[in-house]
Amino acid sequence: MARVTKERREIERLLWRAGFGPRPNEAANLARKGRRAVVEELLRPRGRQVGGAPPRVDGQPIDPINRWSHDTLWWFDRAVRTRQPLAERMTLNWHDHWATSNRKVGDTKLMMAHYWVLRRHALGRFRDLAHAMLRDHAMQVWLDLAGSEKGAPNENFARELMELFTLGVNNGYTERDIREAARALTGFTRDWRTDAFGYDPSVHDDGVKTILGKKGKWRPHDVVDIAIDDPHHAPFICGKLWAYFTPRPLPPRFLREMAATYRAAKTDVRPVLRMILNHPSLYADLDTPDFVKSPVVFAAGMLRGLNRGVTRPGWGWMLHQMGQAPFYPPNVSGWPSDEEWLSAASVRARFSAASAVVQDWLEDGSITANQSPTAAVRAAVKACGNPVITPSTERVLARYAVRAVDGRTDPWEVKHFFPERQRVMRHLILAGPDSQVC
Amino acid sequence: MTDAPRPRGCQDHLLTRRSLTRRAAQAVPIPADAMNGLEAFARDGGLTRKDVLERGAGMVLMCSAAAALTPRAVMEAAAAQQAQAPDAPILVSLYLDGGNDGLNTLVPVADPVYRTLRGSLAIAPETALALRDNGDFRWHPSLARLADLYNQGKVAVLPAVDYADPDQSHFNSVGYWRTGTVGHTLDLTGWLGRTMDLMGTPDNPLQAVSISGDLDPVLRSRTAPVGSVYDPGAFSFWIPGVWGDDGFTSLYRDAARGRARGGLKAARDAYRNAFRMVDMLEPLKVDKDHPLPPTPVAYPDTDLGKDLRNLARILGAGFGTRIAAVSTGGYDTHDNQLTEHAELLTDLSDSLWAFQADLEARGLAQRVMVMVWSEFGRRPKANNTGTDHGAGGLLMLVGNRARGGILSEFPGLSSLDPDNNLKVTTEFRTVYASVLEQFMGVEAGRVLAGMNSTRIPLVA
Repeated sequence: MARVTKERREIERLLWRAGFGPRPNEAANLARKGRRAVVEELLRPRGRQVGGAPPRVDGQPIDPINRWSHDTLWWFDRAVRTRQPLAERMTLNWHDHWATSNRKVGDTKLMMAHYWVLRRHALGRFRDLAHAMLRDHAMQVWLDLAGSEKGAPNENFARELMELFTLGVNNGYTERDIREAARALTGFTRDWRTDAFGYDPSVHDDGVKTILGKKGKWRPHDVVDIAIDDPHHAPFICGKLWAYFTPRPLPPRFLREMAATYRAAKTDVRPVLRMILNHPSLYADLDTPDFVKSPVVFAAGMLRGLNRGVTRPGWGWMLHQMGQAPFYPPNVSGWPSDEEWLSAASVRARFSAASAVVQDWLEDGSITANQSPTAAVRAAVKACGNPVITPSTERVLARYAVRAVDGRTDPWEVKHFFPERQRVMRHLILAGPDSQVC
Repeated sequence: MTDAPRPRGCQDHLLTRRSLTRRAAQAVPIPADAMNGLEAFARDGGLTRKDVLERGAGMVLMCSAAAALTPRAVMEAAAAQQAQAPDAPILVSLYLDGGNDGLNTLVPVADPVYRTLRGSLAIAPETALALRDNGDFRWHPSLARLADLYNQGKVAVLPAVDYADPDQSHFNSVGYWRTGTVGHTLDLTGWLGRTMDLMGTPDNPLQAVSISGDLDPVLRSRTAPVGSVYDPGAFSFWIPGVWGDDGFTSLYRDAARGRARGGLKAARDAYRNAFRMVDMLEPLKVDKDHPLPPTPVAYPDTDLGKDLRNLARILGAGFGTRIAAVSTGGYDTHDNQLTEHAELLTDLSDSLWAFQADLEARGLAQRVMVMVWSEFGRRPKANNTGTDHGAGGLLMLVGNRARGGILSEFPGLSSLDPDNNLKVTTEFRTVYASVLEQFMGVEAGRVLAGMNSTRIPLVA
């Protein structure tokens, strides 16, 4: 295997954890700048958000509004073509955090607008994002804010605001806080004939409410501020951000430092992300990675590593099978994470995704009997963009490279089995156990 | 049972699902911990009933014998075991995700307050379906086939099942129901996974299966291999341009074998289990010479219908399956409940009816019992067009061996709990314990830590 520098390995790790994996040679090129400089670039992206030309799927442009599963394809394509990996990855993280599904919203235009809100605030102040989410129409449909009126307030948004979005489950609030918050959150409307969203003071409960110990005639946006100003918020959100980037336990002292930084930065997440992305535990055990890639990261990373784009409509369906279709989180608490992603059924879906990628890759007859087993392994690793291969998998590949063509000397056998050996090894490098982690 | 302190304070950010899973993975090394656990249960006087002990010991013996066998041999062993114990019970968990509205499922038509609280969402008594033995309740009009099963004595219904001081968070409540533990715990194994630890073999992941893309958390075990299958006919691996699966499975199997930890270990385990499953499902493989076995009855063309149909196929094939888990979503009816709930209940009723008919045609009906549950009921007072999270859910047992009837106390709607929810009359762990002992033949204390002695006769 090619000898690679520690710096390059660290950049590779960073690009997987804070983005959607490296493009060919990207990590080696960035290694010259140094890892800390790369972190800074990720935190302050400039220039175009996506690179390359928009892909054509079955000869047609992606049409998220009108064509089935193209909404998922549209988001996936942005991840594959991103030139601002951390901003795009944080958009997906926020989608997991504010998990809103088109299954209930049922309006892709609203969901696209929802995406742009997440994208705009991806690397900004959490407070701004939270206020924008309260105003967001997809969210207002998803958690029944629109139509929640005084006298019969709907508690859905109030509960999840505290439980999932700002404080954490059972973390410093009571059932009473939720009910009072639900009162304060009344007043948003949707006219079901014209589909117009609005706010009607006459259906807002303008009485006095006590929320998290604060008493007043609170209105909807006050609830967001009260929750974010609560002392439980900063540790909750910083702990959650940490878990998006590493499976390692969060040192309590580091959490306190992050929370202090977050408060001092007036809920700007960038200084917190900087701390996380520069933390040594993110770069531990570079040869034996231990964080399971989510399906979108796995699939987008596979295409990026091969310098390919989203050309098959099947990606929408394949992401569903793998368990993570953007715009369709399973419920309001978002997607699974890390090891929860893996089951017999989900690895089978990941396996099939790689089968779609290796299809038509090598013609029979394209490799001669001169290719030695060693050269075959090297060629397969290179074709996949030189990813990390664990030592045990390297040995397994080496043995297979001998076995796969053993005794295959007839011309018709050479014609098929030498390319088949490449297909199988590339498939394993793309979708085998090692490729599931970063 | 609520003695465990509710977590408070600044460390509670750790109580997210992801950190819980990680901490659990670290805190529960296998297999030593399980043995410690069993000893602890024994010390606490959990093993008192002699017959259960003997049965459990027999299972343990099977485990140690199966450890060294190949998957093929395990299947033969499973088939042999099935032949030896043709009446071994099979428990199916059917989870209604979101919090099913029990009050509009089994409608308390005789309760004077029901109509007032529910307003436009109230089910009119004249449209609801009568029970053969109880005039106080009627079934939702969409439940015709379930009502039919009830009148045949095949449905046990328990209203107001939950736990004391119920939590109205989906996350907490479903976590408690799945683990069988109320309150904060680092042990994330499911109660049915632990049941499998006690009675399972070490090499047959089909002994406990969820019909789903991912493992149902209720099946998460300490030591017993468990699996998830969503379509037994389609579970195969294929690479274009590779002739025959010998071309790649050996490489993949080798790559899944090496030692690892953390996520890499999980990835290798998942692949290893997946390929083992392929071996075991081989006899069900679909091609033109071996079409998927037809099912004797038609199922609704819904996700739930398909899942139960596939489960019936797996049970019919005889893989030694003892526990299965299915779930179906959409029950979080905060709005538009009238239409949505009716559709959900139609699907539930028709799917359960088809499953029961299928099992009867296959001669399995005496062995299988379905436990239908949800994380909570819904608030008695409607919001506008829907209902918010409540307490006191409705639990049902469906099957030939269920003791038909209404088996728990309904507290009425005139006096509610401090959160204006239905009062809880029956703890869900009591139901679990009763099912474990009366149906599965497992001493409940070995699965449910600190379980008291309260039981309800649920099995005929």
